[in-house]
Order: sequence, then C-alpha cells, then structure tokens
Amino acid sequence: MDPPAPLPPLPAPASAAPAVAGERGAGTPQAQAAAGVLLALSRAARSFVLYDPSNAVVRQLLGEYRDRSRAALDRHGALAFEVRPFEMACAGEVVYRELDREKSLAFRLFRDGVRRLTILPVVGWEELLQLLQILAIRYTGVRQQEEDTVTLLRKAEFRGITLEAVEGFTPAEESPEPELDEKAQRAQRAQPPAGWDTPLQKLPQPGPLAWRAVPDAELAPLRAQSSEDEAALADLALSVARDLLAEATRSAWPVPNPDLTAFFSELRDGLLAEGNLLSVRRLLDLIREQGGGELRDTVLRGLGDARTLDLVLAAVPEDAAQLPAEMVPFLPLLGIDAALDRLLPDAGTSDARRRLLLRIVLARLPREADAVLARLPTFEPRLVRELARAVVARAPERASDVARQLLAQRDPSLRLEGLAALDGATGVVPLRPVCELLSDPDLPLRVRAAELLGKHGDASVLEVLRAALSTGRELPPEVAEALGRAMAQVAPIVAGRFFGAWLEPKGRFLRGLSAEQRTQQWAAVAGTGELPGAEAEKSLQGLAERSEGELRRHCLSTLVRRRKGAGHAAPHG
Amino acid sequence: MPPRMDDDLSRAQSSLGRALGRARAGEDRELSQKVREGGEALANIVCGLLKMSRVHAADNRAFEAPAAELSRVLGVLVDLLGTVHLVTVEDQVYLNDVRVRAETKGGARELGGELAKHNVGGLTFHAPLDGAAVRALVAAFAERPAESGPRSALQHALALRGVRSVELAPRFRFRAQGENERAGADPIEALRRALRLTEEGYDQLAAGRVVNPLPLRRVVAEILEIGPQVPELWETVGDGLPHASHAASVALLALLVGRAVGFGSAVLQDLGVAALLHDVGYAQLPVDVARGAEGLARHPGEGARILLRQRGFNAAKLRRLRAVMDHHRDHEAPAGSPSALGEVLRLAEDYTTILRVYAGRVSPADALGAISRAAGRLYHPALAQVMVNVLGRYPPGTLLELGDGRFARSVSPVRSPQTFAQPLIRVYDLRTRALSGEREDLALAGDVRRAMPG
Repeated sequence: MDPPAPLPPLPAPASAAPAVAGERGAGTPQAQAAAGVLLALSRAARSFVLYDPSNAVVRQLLGEYRDRSRAALDRHGALAFEVRPFEMACAGEVVYRELDREKSLAFRLFRDGVRRLTILPVVGWEELLQLLQILAIRYTGVRQQEEDTVTLLRKAEFRGITLEAVEGFTPAEESPEPELDEKAQRAQRAQPPAGWDTPLQKLPQPGPLAWRAVPDAELAPLRAQSSEDEAALADLALSVARDLLAEATRSAWPVPNPDLTAFFSELRDGLLAEGNLLSVRRLLDLIREQGGGELRDTVLRGLGDARTLDLVLAAVPEDAAQLPAEMVPFLPLLGIDAALDRLLPDAGTSDARRRLLLRIVLARLPREADAVLARLPTFEPRLVRELARAVVARAPERASDVARQLLAQRDPSLRLEGLAALDGATGVVPLRPVCELLSDPDLPLRVRAAELLGKHGDASVLEVLRAALSTGRELPPEVAEALGRAMAQVAPIVAGRFFGAWLEPKGRFLRGLSAEQRTQQWAAVAGTGELPGAEAEKSLQGLAERSEGELRRHCLSTLVRRRKGAGHAAPHG
Repeated sequence: MPPRMDDDLSRAQSSLGRALGRARAGEDRELSQKVREGGEALANIVCGLLKMSRVHAADNRAFEAPAAELSRVLGVLVDLLGTVHLVTVEDQVYLNDVRVRAETKGGARELGGELAKHNVGGLTFHAPLDGAAVRALVAAFAERPAESGPRSALQHALALRGVRSVELAPRFRFRAQGENERAGADPIEALRRALRLTEEGYDQLAAGRVVNPLPLRRVVAEILEIGPQVPELWETVGDGLPHASHAASVALLALLVGRAVGFGSAVLQDLGVAALLHDVGYAQLPVDVARGAEGLARHPGEGARILLRQRGFNAAKLRRLRAVMDHHRDHEAPAGSPSALGEVLRLAEDYTTILRVYAGRVSPADALGAISRAAGRLYHPALAQVMVNVLGRYPPGTLLELGDGRFARSVSPVRSPQTFAQPLIRVYDLRTRALSGEREDLALAGDVRRAMPG
C-alpha cells in the first residue's frame, strides 16, 4: 500500500466559479447538502487520476462521499441533479460549478450524454460505489471501445439511481430530404457465398409443439455460466483462450499472430486486474499444454509483465533467497525488464530481494539473454560480472556480445571480465577491441589482452603487437613478455626475424640499450621461448651466457618454461 | 460500527482498483487514439476549408496545403475504418460514433454551423479524396445553398463535380433516453439500423478492418427495450441483404430465448451483438473454401480470428468469441457441450437456416418441431423447449389456413402461454401474395385449421 499522502486541498467552488452557489454558498439546507455530495463525488472520482486505489487519500475521500451521501439522503430525501455543461442544479439551485474541463464532473457527465441524475433514498453503498466507479473510469481517461458512459449506466441496472441521458442522435429534420439510393450502396457490400451455413445436419421428423414450463433449475446453470462474477469470468476467459490456441494450431494461423498475442496479454492484464494469480497460473498451464511450439513460445514471450512480478514478489517472504516451488511456473511471466529495473543501483531494492531477483533473471537465461545484454552496462560492477558470467555459461554463443559490452566499461575489472568472456567464446573472436586494450593504462589488462591476442589472434595482429613494443618507452616486463609471446604465437616466422634483431641490437656495446630496445629485447626473449626448433633454444642459451643480471635470469627462466612445455611450441627433440 | 465501515471502505478500494484495472485492460488505446486524433484533424481541416471558401476562390493556391492534408488524413482514416462518418450533433463532433475533441480549437466546434448552411449534419466518406476532389467539395459547399432541398441540391452538385464518394447526412439532434417510449418507439427503424450495421460490419471485416461493436450494442439495447417479441421487428427482418437478414433473425430469436432464460441485460446485449456477427468467419474465407462443408466447419474459428482484431479485454468480447466459436457445436459434442450463449445461437441459427434453405417447403412450425425432436442430441433440451415456448405453435412467418377458409401469415411470437397457438396474423392473398394492412389477433377471434409450408 502507498504511504499515506497529505490530503489534497479542498477545491473551493466559490473561488473556482465565483458566481456559483456551491456547498458554502448554496441557499437552502438541501442545496448545501446536495453540493456537499457532488463535491465529495467529484473529488473521489478524480482521486484515481492522482493516486493508486489503495492509497489512504482515496480511502478518506471514499469515506467522505459515503457519509455525505447518506446524511444528505436521510435528511432531505431524493437528490435530483440537472446536468448542464459546466454546472449541476438541484431543485433549481446551482449546487456545483467547475469551469475547468479536466476537473468538472458536470462537464464529463454532460459530454457523455447524461442530462439528469437522481439519487434516491433507497440507494445502497454498492450502487453509490458503482456510480463512482463509472465516473472514475472516465476521469482516468480510459477509452473503452465496447462501452460508453450511458451503456455502462444502463447496464448497472441501478435501483437507487435514475438517469436521463441522450442516447445517440437522430435526424433533426421535420421534413426530411430524400435519402440516397440505399440499394445502390448495398449492391457493393461483401456477402457470404451462396448456401452458407450448409449442409444442415439431418433432422428428425417434426414433433408436436406444446408449451411446457421449463423448471428454473434447468436454466439456472446456464445463467450462472454467463455471470459477471470473477470466477465465472475467469473460467470463460480461460476456455476462450484454450479454444483459440487449439483453433490457431488446427487451422495453422500465421505465426507470429499479433492479434492472438495481444489477446493473451490483455487476458493476463484482465486476470491481474483481479489480483488473481491462480487464474494466471491456469492460463500459463493451458498455454503450455497446447504444444504448438512456435505459437506457444510466441504467446508466452508476450506475457512477461511487471505486474505479475510484483504479485509474485508480494507472495514471497522478503528474505526468501529463491522462488517457492509453487511460484516457479510463473517464471516465464515475470517481466524480465521489470526484474532488471529492480536490480538497478538506485532501485531501492533490499539485498535479499536483489538476490531473489537475480535468481529470477538467471533462471530466464538463455532465452532472455538479449534483454540482459541490453541492460548490462547499467548495473553495479559486481552484478555485471555475475550476469555476464551467467550469460556466457548458459549461452556460450553470446560470449562475444558479452565481451563487447564489458570491454566498453570504465571499470578495469569488468574489461578484464570481458577478456575472460572472449577467451571462452566460440566462433570468431572480435580482435579489434582487444588490440585497443594494448594501450590501456591498466597493467593486468594489457597483459591479458596480449595473451588473448596470442591465443586467438592471427598474423593480422602482428603489427599491432610489434607497435606496442615500439613506443619509445620502456614497458613493464610482464607486458613486454606477454607481447613477445603473442607475436611468436600469431606469426612465428616473421616474429623470429624481429626477435633476432631485438635480442642483440646493433650498437649495443657503444651506446647501451635505449628504453625501447630494452623492452624489445625482453619481449624477444619471452617470444623466442615460444618459437619451435633448436635454433631458438640455442639463441636463448647464447644470450644467457653473454648477459648478466635480470636479462640472464629472464633467459634462464624462459628456457625452463620452454623445457617444461609451457609455451605453444615446445622444443623439438 | 467503525470496523464494518472500515471493511466497507477497504472493499470499495479493492473493488474500484479491480474495476479500473479491468477498464484499462478493455481499452484499445491505439485505435482510440488514432480515431480521436484523426477525427479531430479531419473536423478541423474540413471546417477550415469551408471557412476559407468564403474568402478564396476554389483555385486559390491557399487551398493546396490544407487540401493535401485533408487527403492524407482521410486516407489514413479510410484505411483504418473503411467508411468514415463525420457527424456533428449540436456542438459535438463524432467520427464513426466516437466523440472527437471539439473544444480545443474553434475549428471542429464550428463545423456544425458550416455544414448546416446546406442543411447538412454530417459527411460520409466512402473513399479517400484526392486534391482535386477536395477542391470540388469545397467549391460545392461555397455555392449559395438552394432555396429548397439544399442538401439534395448539394449532393447533386457534388455528383456533377465528380465527387461521388461523399455522402451528405441530414442534421442531427441528441435523442434523449426514454424519448422513444414517449414518442412511440420505432421498431422498424431500429431493425433497419440493425440490418444496415450488420451489413457494414460484415463489409468492414471482409476488408480486414476492425468492427466497432458500440453501435451494434446500442441497437441491440434498443431492440431489447422495444421488446424482441414486437411483431414489427419480425416483419422487417427480411428487409436486409440475405446474410444481414439471417443475422438479424438469429439475433431476434436469440434475444427472445435469452430473455426467457433470464439472462441479465448485459448478457443479452452481448448475445445480441454476437448473433449479429456470428457468421463473419465467412468474410475472409476463400470462396472455394467458404462454400459447403469446409466453410461450415471453418467459419466459427475464422470468425473468432477476425473478431480478435478488436483489442481490449472485456466480458462482452469474451462472450462474443465464445458464442461465435460455439455456434455450430452440438449439445452432445464429444469435447463437451457448448457454452450457454453458444447453445442459444446454435438453436436460433439452425431454425433460421432451415427456413432459408427450405423456403417454401418447410413451414416454421415444422422447422421448430424438428428442432424440438432433436433436443438433447443436437440442442440443449431446456433451451429447445424455451424456444418452442417463445415461438409458439405457429411461429412468425407460418402460412396458415384459417377456420373460415382464409389464408394468413402468423406475425408474432408467443405473447403468453395462453396464446401459444393464437398468434397475431395478417391475412394473406395466395394469388397476389399480399398481406393485409391490419393485424388480427387469433386470441380474440378465429382459429387455425392447419399450418402449411410456403
């Protein structure tokens, strides 16, 4: 329930319409009472524009409407209101006036064709409520296609409220001019084929006809089927849904079928409006029972909805870590976008709920991978990591998409996660975003990018790797090593030529090594360790013997690594 | 008793919440939006053009932009609705029975006044208009209204200018509830409207459009108020195209039976609308499929598919779909008996079809007798008896030989159990096939020697 909100200020009829005899200005006690009823009715009807029906303000206004109506009717008897475009009069006195069309009860009633409204003393609360309901629907701007206010009021079959309303329009001419040739128009009309509705079933010879009273007990079940009560309506809705699906399957209706999908969404809305999860569950079951593959999947996909999620969450304890078994069947109906919304950092969702929502989202994978991927960048890094891993695990074919999303993140740990996703990707790995990471300020990321290029790259990335080692700056040794190894892995022959020059650069004895040369030499050692053949081994051994300090240790450890077979290319023989 | 009052309010809040939810689920936002916006635009442009015609000649370039816009808007609406009825009533404007906003600008509100100069209350567009046709329309309206029959004269002028797809409607006023009772209801007019709306609805659905159920519901409500037993309704039901007459006959009979069963007014309205639309499944079946047994088997499902085009969730639509899907299912169908409304339609449909197919060879009394015999197997037994009770021994249309040697046709359903075999009649001339102008009441005088086919 919404928190109680402060009461909206009372509209002041006198100020809104200075000339009005409103509640305070009305002359006779009856007019004052009538004004109070209308004021309460219009405020209650309008309240649904601003507030949820469960809101405390609505409750207060309902109470006011009920109490004022009852008091006025008990004291003054029937209240008959004449409805004019912007005002309403009772016993000749204007008791309501509101010139603002959006707010005016009179305007809405008049516009919808109501010209006189009488509330009789016998009216009960149920009928007063029904009147309010009809008006509230109009105030909230719902545009019904099947009904208008007059048909709704008629259908209500009030006993304590009478109405006079215009119903449609009629020619206003006293001496009508001749009409067009209707036959000519009719000739153009579509018609069913000759002999429609045939062949008829064979019928028996006619029997005698006699009037016979039909016991009401035989008719009552038929009336009950068409009852307006919630259970009968739900049964009807579900039976129609079942038969429509069966018909769609039998007659091979085109799939996707927007009309059918819309019908099921509307049906779900209708059932949810009653807060009836059980009926929604029955709907779900009957869709599943239908078989029909693509049709069933399309219909189910169209049913994900925030309200179902809210209803299910409301039925689960706040600290529940997973959905109770009886709620699991609702999973396909729990709007994935709504669940993701509630996982946003500023959604105000409790930790326990977040865990449950995360489980719900994960349970919808891989089917809803697109929805998750589209929203991935909006979550906290920890959640992004979890969702990304889940998508990769349950939809490995989407690993590249996950990686693309993650590599574009600011958080280095997410970019790193993106590379991990790429490492596990099937199919062609996108290399360009990985190459871009070679210049990333984050060290582990650069190392991992180089490793990944070595593993998944080809000769096309050799130049990028080489360029990363030729920046004029000295790189951290682990970066240089990773780059060198990657070069050896993607293009061993060409890389070998580079390494030859980098291991023992010209002029090294005269000038010493520049920062770039030191980096390249370091990379070349690591890269040579990856190259096949005895020549590489010999080259590393020679350099180890001729050098000292860090470089010597680097050569020796590379040799050890090579001999252990850690590299791609273990020495032959 | 504060706790009880609190309960009242809680229940009220909950009930209002559900009602609003239901209403929201029932709306077709997209269609309503398009109709209202399109209607508002159409009314504004038409009104603007008519006003402009007072200061500019029809060939003035100032008309180019609004004429093009009118063509565009009308094209969209015709595509969406088929025939477009733009109607002004007092200061209100309606597009195909949907009220459009006329308060915002002067334009739409003044449309009624502009049209009224030629005694016109509305325009019906049967097809889109190109720029030249719009100019011709405006030029015709700009002419001085004829002294006598200005609307007919304008219609003629439009035809001379080649604008044949625009129909001019008379001026309208609002009809107050209860006015029919005071002035004497006109069942013939109501039934003819039902026939016209049924024909239009079938047309719309055949063209792949959505039918607007509201006018159908209004006319069904009106027939219910008049009373489906009123003889004039039964005597007028044959005035439409065959399929519309069939649908209206099914509707009248279904309403008669439904009322006798004790269905509430909302259900009766739904039943009547379903009856008027029950055969729409034929509208989109290929002709070779629609004929014969395959069409018979497929049209209920196809009808449901077509009716699904109407968006929004509400009980009326559900009942309509249910009844349309069920109206050819037997009472003892292997998959279970049809819904109550489906059973009623099934009875009414078969009775009406027997009379149509075997016209002249089977009397209404024999058709009813055969159906009564098949009760239990094909038809709900209690409903079949209700139908016998409401149609009587001599259902409307039965050719009778009277005790005095005259021939007559029965023109009324049963008025009371006592008059089960004593309908109202019109004397029938076998040679000229003419019916007498006056009705006679067999309950007051006369008797029936025999019922005959024909």
